[in-house]
Amino acid sequence: MYSGGVHAVRGISFSVKEGESVAIIGSSGSGKSTVLRCINRLIEPTEGEVYLKDEQINTPHANINEVRSRIGMVFQSFELFPHLKVIDNITLGLIQVRGMAKAEAEKQALEVLERVDMLDRKDAYPGNLSGGQKQRVAIARSLAMKPEVMLFDEPTSALDPELIGSVLQTIRSLADDGMTMVVVTHEIGFARDVADRVVYMDEGVVAEEGPSSIINEPKTERMRKFLSSIHDED
Amino acid sequence: MLQRDFPASESSAHRITRAISIAVLMVLVCLVSPSQATDYRSSWFVVESGTSEDLLTVEEYGGQIWIFGTGGVMLNSADNGETWSNIESPTQSDIHHSDSGFGSILVAGESGIALLKSGEDSDWQNISLTGVSRINGVALTGSQSAIAVGDDGGIYRYQGGAWESVSLALDLDMKGVSFYDESSGVIVGSEGIILFSDDGGETWDYREAPEGVGESSIVGVEFYSPVRIYAITEDGRILMSASNVVTGTDVGYVWTLVEFERHYPPGSNQYQQNPSNLGVELSSIEVVTTTKLMMTGESGYLSISTNGGTIVSQQINPLGNDSVFNHIHMLTGFVGIAVGDNGAILWTEDAGVDDQVGFEVINFNDFDNFVDYSKDMLFAGFIATIKIVVFGIIMGFLIGVSLAMCKTSPTSMKYMVERFDPKIVRLIGIIIAGWGLYQFYVAVPKISELGLDGIENIFIPVGEPGAFGRVLLGIGLTFVGVLFMTNDGKFSKLELKGFKLNPWGVRPLNTIATVYTDFFRNTPLIVQFMFIHFGLQLGRLIQEPAQAFLEESTGGVAQFIKDEFLNDRAYISAICALGFNSGAYQCETIRGAIQAIPSAQMEAGRSIGLTYMQTMRRIILPQAIRICIPPMGNEMVNLVLNSSLAMVIGYAELTRQGKLITAVTFQMAYTWGMVLVSYFVITWTLALLLRRLEESTRIPGLGMTGGD
Repeated sequence: MYSGGVHAVRGISFSVKEGESVAIIGSSGSGKSTVLRCINRLIEPTEGEVYLKDEQINTPHANINEVRSRIGMVFQSFELFPHLKVIDNITLGLIQVRGMAKAEAEKQALEVLERVDMLDRKDAYPGNLSGGQKQRVAIARSLAMKPEVMLFDEPTSALDPELIGSVLQTIRSLADDGMTMVVVTHEIGFARDVADRVVYMDEGVVAEEGPSSIINEPKTERMRKFLSSIHDED
Repeated sequence: MLQRDFPASESSAHRITRAISIAVLMVLVCLVSPSQATDYRSSWFVVESGTSEDLLTVEEYGGQIWIFGTGGVMLNSADNGETWSNIESPTQSDIHHSDSGFGSILVAGESGIALLKSGEDSDWQNISLTGVSRINGVALTGSQSAIAVGDDGGIYRYQGGAWESVSLALDLDMKGVSFYDESSGVIVGSEGIILFSDDGGETWDYREAPEGVGESSIVGVEFYSPVRIYAITEDGRILMSASNVVTGTDVGYVWTLVEFERHYPPGSNQYQQNPSNLGVELSSIEVVTTTKLMMTGESGYLSISTNGGTIVSQQINPLGNDSVFNHIHMLTGFVGIAVGDNGAILWTEDAGVDDQVGFEVINFNDFDNFVDYSKDMLFAGFIATIKIVVFGIIMGFLIGVSLAMCKTSPTSMKYMVERFDPKIVRLIGIIIAGWGLYQFYVAVPKISELGLDGIENIFIPVGEPGAFGRVLLGIGLTFVGVLFMTNDGKFSKLELKGFKLNPWGVRPLNTIATVYTDFFRNTPLIVQFMFIHFGLQLGRLIQEPAQAFLEESTGGVAQFIKDEFLNDRAYISAICALGFNSGAYQCETIRGAIQAIPSAQMEAGRSIGLTYMQTMRRIILPQAIRICIPPMGNEMVNLVLNSSLAMVIGYAELTRQGKLITAVTFQMAYTWGMVLVSYFVITWTLALLLRRLEESTRIPGLGMTGGD
């Protein structure tokens, strides 16, 4: 794979089963986010194939808008729409993409807001929310579309330490409900506890892959080094 | 922090209410604009004649002005019409007609009376015709020779001290005669008769009157020049005969009826469209220049036409509308005299053209007087400025948003073709390239026909705009065609000596928008105004089809558009010029704002499945427009200030009104000061509104707050 003139990632091949949650870990610049964005084609892979349920989605013939509506994405910096209230952030996709009536969309929005415990702030503007609240709303926005898979791009790295917990709790509950997820994260502990599988990336390639237990017993030297450097920071 | 948490339905209702109130406000602005409330005053002065006789004819002779009338009355003025003395008359008969020239003056009238005076100091010579009831017209053909006409085919030639009758065996009444020199003359009369002589009146040829004159009498004629004769009919129509250089026809052969396009009543702009006649019995016509005519008639009729009678403007008669005017005579192009019944004498030094000011002296140094005079004009200009500004802003904003979206559009050549089979793309490429080359094939001969050399070639777009457009189109199509022809499905970049080019990255919409903005931002607005209004005549190009299209419709909106926009071409052109220009600048402002929105917002929108346009409309633009309110405020203030340039195309906005006010009052400081204040009021109010808008659209929790 190839992006913006630099070969960010290459030779990546992995699959995610339905109901499985996969954590992608690795140091900065190792290509974790690029892989995630290639999945819903926010970055167009120059070579290779991406499949969603046996359907190749990175061809010019695929209806990318329809595909994206089936893939939820949560960003590092939340990317709520600041000019819309919390509830309108969520109903926008339902009304515009799913073609729902406003009342129906609001009903569904309230359900997901309740699920992320943000019901009481439904009429607030994003600018008046804390970081953790924003991220939970962002998760609710993706969730409302009833996606087949959710992509999390470092969902907690822009948050203050004391706010991380509530977001991780939300993601964890999704995993428990059987949501298919790909999570790019720096939270090693979270990856270990929640992920069914862990993919460790380094310099654009998959360096190690396996069940979450590999975090405790890494096989490769590079992953061992990476894990110990994280522990040093702690 | 103040929270604005309205329930959603209430907020949309709120928005609709606001839109309606803005629309109503705009309609009101259009409606309150005053309809032409200018006062007109006659520039004819009433002169005391000292007699109550009907004055029938006026003549200039020997440096004096002479007036003749009923009962043989003779008035004379040696001081340019200021004072008149009643001089002793050798006759009691009514004098109807007069002519001067060749050092003589001849008057004639009732009972065949005819008096000739050859030389200023000589006495009146009685050369009356016997046995003639009334002379209907006289013309001198020499100092001692003349032609007179009367009823029942009477044509009389005075020569060598005696009258002889020229018999034509016609029993029509002859109503008027006029000679250009000693030999060429014309006689007119009842039933549209026109006679022409080339030999001083010895023989007369019959000339055909134009169809349409019918049985009407031609009552007056003036042989103005070797190229032009005008005549009038009793039913208010004007005949004209002109020499025709192309066909080699001399004057007097071909006669046409002047087609009236507009007839303005006194002191009004509400003209009568295409009248068949002037609706009044004309009594005399004075030809001042080849195309400038002045007419008098019954019922106080005084009028002028400066284009050969096509547009006739009635002049205000200071005596009231029931007086009869019998004769008008112009001493120069502007100084003239009209005489009428009951001793009426009018004098003008301005060709009688209605004056908007009146006669009384207003002291414009007195600010009170000045304001009284100028406030209506300023207010009209104020409204006119607001109107072009409001519609210019709206048009500019729509253009600006569209262009900004074109400029930021990611649609590249690659994006357009990548979903198609390379073979098909190559085939389409061949067709497009062929089409492009065809454009050159058509355009190049046309351009070479212009015969331009070297630097002159920059004016090709002016000489052959169509061909130039084809060349641009040809360049674009050929580029696209060649690019498609090389498509191998890889969309690789070109690399020339380390210089990289990515032809597949070319964005056509961006290119078009860039050409537009570059053009409008690199040319002066004042020239754009003049080119759009006078060159392209955009106002006319829009007005005419729009009028034709809306002619049948009588609905409220159609009527509003017709009344508001389609009456004034300069208004249409001004809105377009301001809108086009402002659009180019607003585009850059909005584009900057769009680019200031983090790209992740677009990603977030796309990742929930919105299309590019949906994301643009629902997410990017609502934020971008809020960001660009302050710079847009600048842009709008600029637009208000730029609107003053609309004066060059004759649109009566504030600055032009200022110019008109100074032309009358000469009060430069008062006028321009008041214009300045007016502009300040407009821009300052606009700035306040924008500040209010900025506050009301502020996104809670975003941006700097000064504390509520």
